[in-house]
Amino acid sequence: MGTEIIYILFGGFLLLLFIGAPITVALGVSTMITFLVLDENPIKFVQIAFTSVGSFPLMALPAFILAGALMEASGLSRRLINVAESFAGPFTGGMSAATVFACLFFGAISGSGPATTAAVGMLMIPAMIQRGYSRDFSSAITASSGGLGIVIPPSIPLIIFGIAALGMPAPPAAVAEHGTFQTVSIPKLFIAGFMPAFLIAGSLLVMNYVLSRKRGYKGSSEGWSARHIWCEMYRGFWALMAPLVILGGIYSGFFTPTEAAIVAIFYTLAVGAFIYRELTWQKLFTSLETTTWLTGRVLLIMFTATVFGRLLVENQIPAIIADGMLSVTDNIYVIWTLVILFLLFVGMFMETLATILILVPVMLPVAYSVGIDPIHFGVVMVCTLGIGFQTPPLGENLFIASGISNISIERISVAALPFAFINTVAIFIIAFFPEISLWLPRVLGY
Amino acid sequence: MKNVLGILNNIESYLCRFLLAVFVSLLFLQVVVRTFFNFSFSWVEELSVYMFVWFVFFGASYAAKMGAHNRVTFQFKFLPDRAIKYIEAFADLFWICFNVYFVYLALDFIFNRMNRFQSSQTLGFHLSWVYIVLPIAFALMTFRILQVNYKKIILNEDLRDPDSIDLDEVRAELEGNVSQSGDEESK
Repeated sequence: MGTEIIYILFGGFLLLLFIGAPITVALGVSTMITFLVLDENPIKFVQIAFTSVGSFPLMALPAFILAGALMEASGLSRRLINVAESFAGPFTGGMSAATVFACLFFGAISGSGPATTAAVGMLMIPAMIQRGYSRDFSSAITASSGGLGIVIPPSIPLIIFGIAALGMPAPPAAVAEHGTFQTVSIPKLFIAGFMPAFLIAGSLLVMNYVLSRKRGYKGSSEGWSARHIWCEMYRGFWALMAPLVILGGIYSGFFTPTEAAIVAIFYTLAVGAFIYRELTWQKLFTSLETTTWLTGRVLLIMFTATVFGRLLVENQIPAIIADGMLSVTDNIYVIWTLVILFLLFVGMFMETLATILILVPVMLPVAYSVGIDPIHFGVVMVCTLGIGFQTPPLGENLFIASGISNISIERISVAALPFAFINTVAIFIIAFFPEISLWLPRVLGY
Repeated sequence: MKNVLGILNNIESYLCRFLLAVFVSLLFLQVVVRTFFNFSFSWVEELSVYMFVWFVFFGASYAAKMGAHNRVTFQFKFLPDRAIKYIEAFADLFWICFNVYFVYLALDFIFNRMNRFQSSQTLGFHLSWVYIVLPIAFALMTFRILQVNYKKIILNEDLRDPDSIDLDEVRAELEGNVSQSGDEESK
């Protein structure tokens, strides 16, 4: 019976995806059919539609999307990029390093890979080309660091992972074998994501330095301009404060993530309307509208993925997968390698948030049963899926970068290979050394 | 008349913007009151969660109208656009069936199975007033799916992919703002 369900559920799901049904429909229909085959009462769908979405922590999602949209509309994001640019200075590869930093800053408030690439690339790619960087290289570094945006907290994929993982307690068998696991919470995930995000940014900077040296990309001869930096910092002061308000509020335990996002919205409204004076009613409405369809789309998947996950767990399917995996190997490093390669593969074809929602019910119980910490697992998962933005065939960042620099996707992909490679190395390091993710939350007492 | 139709055509968008603005403001009020007066309204959290549920499902319907629900389309790369249109319309039939069945289930649940005493804890009204969004939004979504396919196949319109970032737009925005900050400097 168990295997039959797997065929109907996964077979139906993949078939529907293949004929181009929306992801949420593929999930919903295959689950519904399995329900009917199993003769279970489909009324559960109605209850789960309400309970999966009606939770307070989940409101952090639209709140952060709205905050990010408003920050772009109010000109906070652009000022952050300007600050990063002013630091380029006299270093070898300084301008491209500034691009990486700009993506870090921008991503911290945007949480979208392609949006980060577009906004940063539009300013930085021409600036790099002007300073003699090749077109391939400038596009490749921007496309590669655009993915940082989804890793650096406050990150929307981490919120989604946190909510999905909350509904998935560790199976008793795993607890008996590996002891109790820590509970998952969004603030904990945010803190855990910090060091890995900087490790990935660091790996990009190292590769950038090596390549820039080889290609002879010198810094500007004028050296640092303290005045220029100071000017940009001064202009960007209110923008620089925004991540501080959000993260400081969450980490000090003063706000929940949802409240922090709400405060960020009103902070941005105030700055955008009264200090920078770039926010118009039109832009405000557009931000509200964007938040509407982005949230509606993701959370409809949340609903169907929750029913899907319930069905999997009730039929012990993750346990079957875990047993299958453990019968091949019980070496944790081999298992991590398989997990990362699988995520890299899926990340190439499917949208990040949908992937997380679908794979958490399948993979998290497996991770529990081999003794992987859920927080650590979430961080690695999100970091790995971030690479999908910079790899063909669906690397949105590549398309955006190619649109800005006017060279072919193929050339950018080739130039981006070293960055994808070093990112993957960084991810393996993060996976193999759990302390990189788990040390900071523990020290801060989470 | 045209005006009314225009409003109806974007009804989810208006409704969702309103709901979003209200629940975000309610939560902000809660934060302010808690921080400065050390007081909290017991009903704010529950009410905002209910508004949020409404917002999500009408938002999903709006996303359907924009053709924004993610599909995996890599396998269609070498097919002509015309063929993709029909294949996706075929896939949408499953979506419509699912929605129709779900609307039936939801109505059945609300009117026949809900406990009479299942009401909101702080606000007192019966929870069927919250659940009622499910049949309404999914019926509306079904209509939107038909509308989108009608536009694509019969009217031959090209729906813009809402995910694609219009680089010209971003550029125009940046340049507009750069000239603005240029003004700031000259002042």
